[in-house]
Amino acid sequence: MFKKSLIALGMAGMLAVPGMAAELKVGFSADALTLDPANHRNRETETIIRNMFDGLVTRDSQMNVVAELAEGWTAIDPTTYEFKLREGVTFHDGSPFTAADVKFSLDRLTKENAMGGQTSPRQSLLSALADVEVVDDLTVRLKLSDPWPILPAMLPFQELVSAAHVAAVGEEAMADAVNGTGPFKLVEWRKGQSVIMERYDGYYGGAGDIAPVGPACVERVIFQVIPENASRVAALLAGEVHIIDKLPAHMVAQVEANPDTKVMAVNGTRTSYIALNNQEGPFADIRVRKALAHAIDRQLVVDKILGGNASLTNGILSPDAFGKNKNLPAYEYDPEEAQALLAEAGFADGLEVTLDVDGANKEIAEAIAAVAAKGGFRINVTVRESSMLVSRFRTKGEPIDGQMWLTSWGNGSLDPVGIFVPTHRTADRGNSSGYSNANVDALLDEANVETDRARRAELYAEAEAIVNADLPKVYLWVAQDLYGVSTKVTGWQPSSDSRINLHDACLSD
Amino acid sequence: MNVGKLIERLLQLIPVLLGVSVIVFVMMLVTPGDPVEIMLGDQHVTEEQEQALRHDMGLDLPPHERFFKFLSNAMTGDFGLSYYHRQPVTEVIASRLPATIELSLAALIFALLVSIPLGVLAAVRKNSILDRISTVTSLFGVSMPGFWFGILLILFFAVNLRWLPVSGRAGFSSEVEPITHLLLIDSLLRGRVDAFWDALKHIILPAITLGLPMASILMRVTRASMLDVLNCDYITFAEAKGLRKSQILIKHALRNALIPTVTVAALQTGSLLGGNMVVETVFGWPGLGRLVVESIFVRNYPLIQAAVLFYAVTYVMLNFLADILYTVLNPKVRL
Repeated sequence: MFKKSLIALGMAGMLAVPGMAAELKVGFSADALTLDPANHRNRETETIIRNMFDGLVTRDSQMNVVAELAEGWTAIDPTTYEFKLREGVTFHDGSPFTAADVKFSLDRLTKENAMGGQTSPRQSLLSALADVEVVDDLTVRLKLSDPWPILPAMLPFQELVSAAHVAAVGEEAMADAVNGTGPFKLVEWRKGQSVIMERYDGYYGGAGDIAPVGPACVERVIFQVIPENASRVAALLAGEVHIIDKLPAHMVAQVEANPDTKVMAVNGTRTSYIALNNQEGPFADIRVRKALAHAIDRQLVVDKILGGNASLTNGILSPDAFGKNKNLPAYEYDPEEAQALLAEAGFADGLEVTLDVDGANKEIAEAIAAVAAKGGFRINVTVRESSMLVSRFRTKGEPIDGQMWLTSWGNGSLDPVGIFVPTHRTADRGNSSGYSNANVDALLDEANVETDRARRAELYAEAEAIVNADLPKVYLWVAQDLYGVSTKVTGWQPSSDSRINLHDACLSD
Repeated sequence: MNVGKLIERLLQLIPVLLGVSVIVFVMMLVTPGDPVEIMLGDQHVTEEQEQALRHDMGLDLPPHERFFKFLSNAMTGDFGLSYYHRQPVTEVIASRLPATIELSLAALIFALLVSIPLGVLAAVRKNSILDRISTVTSLFGVSMPGFWFGILLILFFAVNLRWLPVSGRAGFSSEVEPITHLLLIDSLLRGRVDAFWDALKHIILPAITLGLPMASILMRVTRASMLDVLNCDYITFAEAKGLRKSQILIKHALRNALIPTVTVAALQTGSLLGGNMVVETVFGWPGLGRLVVESIFVRNYPLIQAAVLFYAVTYVMLNFLADILYTVLNPKVRL
């Protein structure tokens, strides 16, 4: 008996050897393109980078903008923002973080040719930032060329680097020489395979508004690249990874059925809609557009195809977005009304149309085609590559080549500037309907520079009401982002901006 | 082997590469899809900002100027910057190449190890149960799509049995200082048995998935040529001499029967590169095939150009290799 307990004790001791570091693995759909925060234009890259680099500000899981490396900020006038920095923050190499690093990082992002002759591809994300002034070691002023009320909403997308580090390693080496202020430091980037990080014990603790504050909980974090959906789910089920992103709706049941894994969902920021060709063809007639909206039972499609994981929207803005008009009338499912409107437009015998879609959304398009049949629409679904559809529909005012396109537009900032303007302003780059309304353009332009938040929200609400009546697109839903998560993971919440911040995540046995 | 022939082959590469460059360039030109639009994605940018990005990527030049610029730079080994990685494409490709080579070699070895013994056995025991089973199996092997078969293997060996990992090339602790950049070899050279074991576990499923169609084809080829050889007079003569059956098979029959197998294997190795695109995606293998597929989707022109040229060179060289092997196995044939 005694002997047995001794053996058991010995075994327990062996299990607790220090080599068994808490290691959190994320099965991630894409590899980083670079680890230089200024040299990419890619959401997945940012998700990985954000665990090693912090920004002036960040977002909590409710999408509120909160101070991170900054202690706080004030708008001195509509074109000047002052940021007070946190004291005692260090980079991974131990050197102090100061206002000069903020200026250097932001200049590197916004000034022409500032990256060793290249201009940062992220420049346009801070388009109105004209200059950064260092007031003292812990104070900077951001000067804007024009009033730009969305500065705080756009700053979470930018991370700060060490000026001395960039000077030491050179611009090119920044692709994989990481020296940030974030909760994890880089161990190794195995390109195409994994990004391995370990806890930075000197971490200042992160945003004070997001508990808990302090160094990260887990000792090591690995982003393991698994592009194929089925393989990513398999890795989760096999216990090889603890969190997977982009869980497809049709695999939810598999993850839920496993006792060691669960599904976590968060409202996404991507609005799905059917872009209709307003320039010519049947959808140039508003009655036909309205008929289609009445012919589609959106809730049924959400329930059957998306497993209920989406919220309907009656306009381009997500229900969570700033300035969302909450009183937009819905085009309720009503096949008789659809048929009546079609008959009025001269299609008493129904209308045959083609719905273009990319491969990933084929199932949804087919479901829409099936439910719209009752309303008098005979919809042929044609699957094409998405890059091709972009060229055909997003024509910037030129003739559109197609009738309808099931597509979507993401809006990580949840500010209308990023989604409403490009998709609805006359001839803007995401306007895939050929839609043009001078009143909407004027409202969007005014809201773009309005610094009074309440007034700005009113302008967007007004614009959305006009668009709701014009109905250039059939607005469908904002799908939830789904994650498969091991039950061992605690303290982690998925976030609407699709970032996976692992600072607060812990692993239990 | 004759050095003149080698030089001749290398010279033949020039028109091939030029032709491939033109074809790829024209195909990318006529395929709809604008790299600038794709890169900007769902962003709100002004027309000027978009033009600036277009200029940065060199896409504001007319097509013929772009092509000649590409060509003249390519002569000096400069294939441009990958739009997305913002690094020279040669570097990006080089970082992914070893994984692809290692996987292709593993698949090739798997295919040869499986196909030759099975093909010989099927020929020797013609019309036996074994022959029939192998015929049906090889039919499956050729016709099963890699993405489906790969997932099946994952579900069985990784999720249910948990014997093998789902994806990746090596675990975190199997870091080995590179020598050849092929993990299986480097781990042995460095005397790291644990790392070798880990790398082996990672490569088994993808190598089987990639190698299976090839194994099936090679098995059929081996079986057919073995049957031909076994019907030859010299085999009958050897039997009449009273030689042992195993000796006849291995010494007399197999050597000749292998000629078509080796030729087909060398040619099929080229197709492993194509199969890699699927298998690397399914198994999260950090190789070139996956990189190329991803690049095609986002119209990363410089990377596609360079990678296709690389594939073309590989194909030509593999053909050449097949010819050389042919002469080695059959001294009557000369290049």
